[in-house]
Amino acid sequence: MTSFKLALRNVKKSFRDYAIYFLTLTFGVCIFFVFNSIESQQAIMDLTNGQMGILRLLNNVMTTFSVFVSVILGALILYANRFLIRRRKKEFGIYMTLGMEKGAMSRILVSETILVGLISLGVGTAMGVLLSQGMALVTAGLLGAEIGHFEFIFSSAAMWKTVICFGAVFLLTLIFNVFMVQKQNLIDLIYADRKNETFKTPKLFLSVFLFIVAAVLLGGAYFLVSGDGVFGVQTLGVAIVLGVVGTFLFFFSLSGFFLKLLQQNKRVYLKGLNMFVLRQINSKINTTYISMTMVCLMLFISISTLSSGIGVAKGLAESMEKNIPFDAGFLVNAGFTKDGETVRDYPGVDLIRAAKEGGADLSGFAKTYWTTRYYKADGNADMDRELSDMGPRFMKLSDFNTILKNRGVDPIALAPGQFAIDSGFDNEAYVEKLTALAGRAPTIRVGGEKLKTDASLLFQYALYVTQNSGMSPTLIVPDALLDGARPAADVLHIIYKGEGREYDTQCREALKGLPLPSGVERSLETGASVRETSSTATTTIAYLAIYLGIVFLITSAAILAISQLSETSDNISRYGLLRKIGTDERMIHRALFTQILIFFGVPLALALVHAVVGISMVNRVTGMLGTGSILAGSLFMALIMLIVYGGYFFATYLGSKNMLDREYARIE
Amino acid sequence: MSAILQAHHVEKYYGNRNNLTKALDGISFDVDAGEFMGVMGASGSGKTTLLNCISTIDTATSGQILIGGVDVTAMHAKALAKFRREELGFIFQDFNLLDTLTAYENIALALTILDTPHREIDRRTQDAARILGISDVLKKYPYQMSGGQRQRVASARAIVTEPSLVLADEPTGALDSKSARMLLERFEHLVEQRNATILMVTHDAFSASYCNRILFIRDGKLFHELVRGGASRKQFFDRIIEVISLLGGDANDII
Ligand SMILES: Nc1ncnc2c1ncn2[C@@H]1O[C@H](COP(=O)(O)OP(=O)(O)OP(=O)(O)O)[C@@H](O)[C@H]1O
Ligand SMILES: [Mg+2]
Repeated sequence: MTSFKLALRNVKKSFRDYAIYFLTLTFGVCIFFVFNSIESQQAIMDLTNGQMGILRLLNNVMTTFSVFVSVILGALILYANRFLIRRRKKEFGIYMTLGMEKGAMSRILVSETILVGLISLGVGTAMGVLLSQGMALVTAGLLGAEIGHFEFIFSSAAMWKTVICFGAVFLLTLIFNVFMVQKQNLIDLIYADRKNETFKTPKLFLSVFLFIVAAVLLGGAYFLVSGDGVFGVQTLGVAIVLGVVGTFLFFFSLSGFFLKLLQQNKRVYLKGLNMFVLRQINSKINTTYISMTMVCLMLFISISTLSSGIGVAKGLAESMEKNIPFDAGFLVNAGFTKDGETVRDYPGVDLIRAAKEGGADLSGFAKTYWTTRYYKADGNADMDRELSDMGPRFMKLSDFNTILKNRGVDPIALAPGQFAIDSGFDNEAYVEKLTALAGRAPTIRVGGEKLKTDASLLFQYALYVTQNSGMSPTLIVPDALLDGARPAADVLHIIYKGEGREYDTQCREALKGLPLPSGVERSLETGASVRETSSTATTTIAYLAIYLGIVFLITSAAILAISQLSETSDNISRYGLLRKIGTDERMIHRALFTQILIFFGVPLALALVHAVVGISMVNRVTGMLGTGSILAGSLFMALIMLIVYGGYFFATYLGSKNMLDREYARIE
Repeated sequence: MSAILQAHHVEKYYGNRNNLTKALDGISFDVDAGEFMGVMGASGSGKTTLLNCISTIDTATSGQILIGGVDVTAMHAKALAKFRREELGFIFQDFNLLDTLTAYENIALALTILDTPHREIDRRTQDAARILGISDVLKKYPYQMSGGQRQRVASARAIVTEPSLVLADEPTGALDSKSARMLLERFEHLVEQRNATILMVTHDAFSASYCNRILFIRDGKLFHELVRGGASRKQFFDRIIEVISLLGGDANDII
């Protein structure tokens, strides 16, 4: 088994230079395992049926996205493998001159690939198993589930998925490598490291021109998505295409542009090794601009998902909590007719009487219960348009004050000729719009009277327990004005006698068979059901964001790290020459640092700009994020970026520096 | 004339006690300022080793090497780098230009790492290029130049800092005879007009005939010394050939 021994020795030898690659691989396997092991985490939780369903849903979502993730990680592995092989070409050339056969060399490569695959799979899975113990606690927390007992969780499903997905990737790598050896001939292998001296860089004036084009395209893309108001999928598509092409041209022309710019400034250009670094980057741009574009776009996705994912999850959880003013809310309103467009006439239902008739004993579980009626009032067409698609609903002042009283808030008073607005929803953008509206002191006409409002009469209370706090405000007017108005909906509010799931069950049971007129829609929401929905959404969004965000992040960071390390090893002779002519050690290290910093920094900077534009666009359209959750999401993203991306950056710098110093020590 | 380089009993051993190579075996000599000095010897006689010890790329096992009165064998790594960029100029057999930089930038590099003001960099780079006759290729990259042009760019880089000593290891080794002659004429010019001091290792009697003085090395020891004096180049060349046959090395290796 000599080829195996050789392979083992090679892997050990290259481990030092490519530790980053091994670590990324292992970490990728680990992440993959952890996010596929969610379902088995139920072992330690006491779950309701609903929570069980959520967990299963979560598991399915993760499995689906894992296919995508394994494609990304697979591409990374193949990309990294190409660099590893390239460095080995000369070694294989020597084996071949010594008379080793291609079959034997293939065996070495196969053994190596298998070895690397097995080690990273083994270590990654082991790390994943450990990590999934901790994640089970987080999952339980997000779902609001109780921890029943502790036991060691091992997900064999996750293990199989990991083995199959990564096994397939390694197999692909293996085939690629064997194919590569078979088609090589000796001469190419031996001269593999001879520099290609006829590299070409784009003409400088062309770079300047293309850089300006790139700036215009990116500016156009930003402008398209930052426009106020609604825009269609088509506009978004155009913006994305402009953005991608702009990014591509940006990297294609950037180094040439800066070279030109700095060459004008001799003071900077002819200082220390600046000229060397710039030329170095410029000479590489032909082979790197595609990967730089990919890295930048992946970083953009990573930054956006990490920050907005966490932000949305946090915002969602908070706004859901605000949607639970009481313990339960039973809403009845008009259903749609068969065509699904026109709303039927709603007769109005006395819910307390209906409960009595249906034999539901409300006082069995409720401490307090009361009803509220919503009304329609026609003839305010312009107001309707401004407020919502559905048209505003009206409520009597006394009903509103009862709700406030039960929320423990002081009642409000209306002066004659005044009405109040309740947004029912504290979405910032929406409240802003209503405030602007109220500030214009609009008038409405209800029950034959003209009413006015102002900004001091704008409230933001959720008025009953609901899943969706849509953008549909309630207008509060003096009781008498609504006496003859048509009813729009009725709500039965319930506050339980105490805490605990049993009240929820009783409440559902009691209201299930309530007799209602035909054509009337009913929906019962309790605090528990709202929280369950909210935790499904928050957990799925948060996990998916972290999963995808981290995979994209480590992929892009690893691509940069590997390409920079291999760049350094290609450049050993250039740095060696700098040393020979007496360049200061510190100056060389600084040049190396600058070069790597630029390669890591520029894609990150552009990705950040993209992300700021992208996130604010998403926020404007969906109105999901408050300032607070944007801040929280950005902090979370920044922290992860700092640790992961920063870690990769320093590891790359130190690895490159060691490579040079080691080579230098060897020459000395 | 004052000695710019003094080598006292320099020894350089490779290997261990069982397998010792005395690459330099107690060699001593002086080089005066403004001299164009040649070093000749058969393959393996220790020429490159000597040059590496002087250039501080390698360290001698024992002995002293004084450049401008400073003992370089006693210097620390940091001081050595500074010494190398300020006092020495290098010309390598294989040019050793940076392929990513233009000729101009390759020459200027030697000055930028010395933190020279940029105006002066431009002036001195143009100046060095003019002396070596490469003003018209300054915008080209190494791959766009001929071997002779590349070696002249490397030479310009070596002299642009006005070092006290230029060290050249077989600078004509990769050049055809016409390019070699051109380069050697430039060296002669540098020594005569600029009072530069050049120490050149060479295999080849023709190149050596441009020097003022030649040291012959055998097995790491000084074997013979030739001074050109008032002799013409042709006469000097004949004397060199004589010594070479005395040296007993195979003539093929030398010519
Ligand atoms: N790093 C080393 N380790 C061991 N021995 C060495 C080393 N470098 C040189 N030698 C030995 O020292 C002796 C002198 O070598 P050197 O390179 O100085 O010769 P040279 O005169 O330059 O020869 P050439 O004309 O072929 O270039 C040789 O015997 C060589 O084998
Ligand atoms: Mg030699």
